Amino acid sequence: MNAGETIISIEQVSKRYPGAQALAEVSLQITTGELHAIVGENGAGKSTLMKVLAGIVTQYDGRLVLRGQPVHFAHTRDAQWHGISIIHQELNLVDELSAAANIFLGREVRTRLGLLDEAAMQRAATGLLARLECHVDARQKVGRLRVGDQQLVEIAKALSLEAEILVMDEPTSALTETEVARLFRVMDQLRGRGVTILYISHKMDEVFRLADRITVLRDGRLVATLRRDQTNPREVTSLMVGRAAEASLVRSTVELGPVVLETRGLSLPWVGHPREWRLRDISFQLHRGEILGLAGLMGAGRTELLESLFGASPQPPRGRVYLNEREVQFGHPREAIAAGVAMVSEDRKRLGLFDHLTVGQNITLAKLGAAVRGGLLSRRREQRLADEAIRRLGIRTTGPSAPITTLSGGNQQKAIIARWLLTGPQVLLLDDPTRGVDVGAKAELYRLIDDLCTGGLSIVITSSELPELLALCDRILVLAEGRLRAEFSRAEATEQRIMEAATLGIDL
Amino acid sequence: MSQCASGASRFFSANRAELGLALSILVVLGLTSVLDERHIYWQNPWPSFVDIVRQSSMLGIFALGSAVVIIAGGIDLSCGSVIAFSGTICATLLVLLAPEEMRTAAVLRPPVIAAAIAGTVLVGLAIGSLHAWLITVVRLPPFVATLATLVGLRSLGRSIVENTSALHLGGKSTQIQIYDAGFRYLATSVWIPATLFLVLAATAWLLLSRTVTGRHLYALGGNEEAARLSGIRTDSLKWLAYCVGASCSTLAGILYIADQSVADPQNLGRGYELNAIAAAVVGGCSLQGGVGTVQGTVLGVVFLRTVIDGVAKIIKTGADVYEGLIVGILVVVAVAFNQLRQRGEPGRSLFPGVLGTVAGATLAAVAGVLAAILAGGVAGAAASVAALAAVVAAKIIARTPARTRGEPR
Repeated sequence: MNAGETIISIEQVSKRYPGAQALAEVSLQITTGELHAIVGENGAGKSTLMKVLAGIVTQYDGRLVLRGQPVHFAHTRDAQWHGISIIHQELNLVDELSAAANIFLGREVRTRLGLLDEAAMQRAATGLLARLECHVDARQKVGRLRVGDQQLVEIAKALSLEAEILVMDEPTSALTETEVARLFRVMDQLRGRGVTILYISHKMDEVFRLADRITVLRDGRLVATLRRDQTNPREVTSLMVGRAAEASLVRSTVELGPVVLETRGLSLPWVGHPREWRLRDISFQLHRGEILGLAGLMGAGRTELLESLFGASPQPPRGRVYLNEREVQFGHPREAIAAGVAMVSEDRKRLGLFDHLTVGQNITLAKLGAAVRGGLLSRRREQRLADEAIRRLGIRTTGPSAPITTLSGGNQQKAIIARWLLTGPQVLLLDDPTRGVDVGAKAELYRLIDDLCTGGLSIVITSSELPELLALCDRILVLAEGRLRAEFSRAEATEQRIMEAATLGIDL
Repeated sequence: MSQCASGASRFFSANRAELGLALSILVVLGLTSVLDERHIYWQNPWPSFVDIVRQSSMLGIFALGSAVVIIAGGIDLSCGSVIAFSGTICATLLVLLAPEEMRTAAVLRPPVIAAAIAGTVLVGLAIGSLHAWLITVVRLPPFVATLATLVGLRSLGRSIVENTSALHLGGKSTQIQIYDAGFRYLATSVWIPATLFLVLAATAWLLLSRTVTGRHLYALGGNEEAARLSGIRTDSLKWLAYCVGASCSTLAGILYIADQSVADPQNLGRGYELNAIAAAVVGGCSLQGGVGTVQGTVLGVVFLRTVIDGVAKIIKTGADVYEGLIVGILVVVAVAFNQLRQRGEPGRSLFPGVLGTVAGATLAAVAGVLAAILAGGVAGAAASVAALAAVVAAKIIARTPARTRGEPR
């Protein structure tokens, strides 16, 4: 196999999920032995493309051509057999098994009697790991290893499969600096051996340090493939965000009221993680009637910040939080709700919806006390509460007694917002409220959010889509790796500036 | 007119499972009265009715507790042991409060009985609290926490009985006899257990369907994390649920020793936890939590008892011999039926591949053994062959491509 030849050719690959076009006719040639970076915003289609290559997504249009032969992987095993291995962001290891057992999982070495040949596997594993500068005992359980070492176990597994193409999905997101340096040395070594690497990242410094070529995806489309030496980080980030803002809403101008919520030096410890802090030293103010946006990439700490303000973080946060100039500490969401803070969680299905309850029951759940008469729930009162909320938010449903699962994503989200509005909050925390919501419903949600603020509610909102924040927010804070990196007023904020702050780490 | 019809149809569709169960109970009663050679249901309807009511009430009292725990997303494996242990505690309290009367089989004064019952219920609440502490604070899975008390309480009960009898009844014994007719009337009256069951069922229904706490229990069982984020005190709710579970078992325990006139922690209520869970599951509770009703559970209880009673009547052996087998089969059939109805994969083979062959042969063998016991060896062999043939036929039909069966692909 010679350098310069195309090892894998992605031809017109498209993938549609219900409500979203994850990939649209992406065509790309990967050259043997190159390190090809694939960049894009959250939801740009990077991961879907990798899943197609790794045989995880098996239903797609278009085709893959590997070394001149069309292939269609039905299973990850297929892809591995063809020499493609993937290192997921969420590592795919069995914590309770040893490093050696993980490396040979599914391809265990056996003795002539058919029993496991532990010694042979351990020898082989130790050899593989040593080549990767990973000096851990191959007999140790993987769950006990540091994340960086776990990752090398995954790479060792790929090596033992004699992978010629290695796909790495944001491999440095959980590593310390020394671990990152070691990983880069290992990658150099692999390239020396002729391994082709597809490197998914949104960190510009890494991409520009490692890659030969850079492909930019946006909204499932391939925007450009550039040679590293013919471009610069600024150009790449602008290509990443360069779509026309689709959000049609123009935020009503509001007089900002007094400060409602303020944090001073808010930090959230991260036990057992090299970064040590999920959030570090975050101070900001939220005014009455203001919409404050939190921008940042996956893992930047947006959700953690909202959870800390709502009394729902895994550990109690450090630092101070003031609500209406009085210091508060919420140990349970219940206390936050009582004080006038409400939160719509990011993962609607897992953290918001009650599948077995009706639309009405989902709406009234946090404010059932208002429907009680003589100690018992009054069906009539509950129905009235639900009906009012359904009308006020324009939730499309056959009625409060319909199962919540019959609603569309957007209407489910409205039902959950309705649940929180019933609690009469002063501060509403919205964690990516338009995720999995179709375009029409998004516009309705924007209008709703705007109306609520005009009515005096203060909102903190995160989104995986920058144009959304730009259209809605009076101010945008940018988080990166748990720190507050920048603050932009509505007039100053552009996608380009926010993206630079989130990826390049420009300090205030 | 049309509104009335739509109201009725809505009632039917909303209560389909309950109506199906009620219908099944009637079918079982009908089959029993026809197939029973002595036709006891016709000859002697009143005692038969009283017996079913008594058995259903005793089971129902603690099955309701189990149902509440299951709806809240937990599981209580300790019912049987709590029944045995609370019986022990009740008898021990009677001995401590009135040692002379208990030894000489004299009449117990009502305040003594009332105090013993009250004390026993308190112990039930303590057991429930212990479960809740193990689950919410020590963070044991409910299965483990209640498994520990399932094993532990029975042996603790035995040691208490041995000590009490040695100290106060003049001789070490593994059980305490209760002769007092007043105390025994609690169970022999039948109307007391039946009324208690109805009152508990009504209370549980009110709690689950008409109070904030009840709604929160469903929310907790359906999605614990979302419930917590909605400001629900999930830990307190679990405390409540496990206390309801344990105190229901406690009440059943008191009635059981009254019924049997002896507190025998070794043998009382063995395996009853599974009957309770089975009744709840047959009645429509989901072990995943968040789903189930009191009506369904009550019907599940009655259904279970009528089937057990019917089989005993038809094959004329003690009900207890086949009780376990019946409960096992009913749980599998009821849950499988519910799942098939919800997921609806018509045409899927129940006996695929090698596993299907082995499972089919196993079922055929069970059928053969049962037939041989009940009707002799020849019938057993015949039943086995017939069952095997049915399984083989099912496999062949499943293997035939859909096309040749004239179904759309």
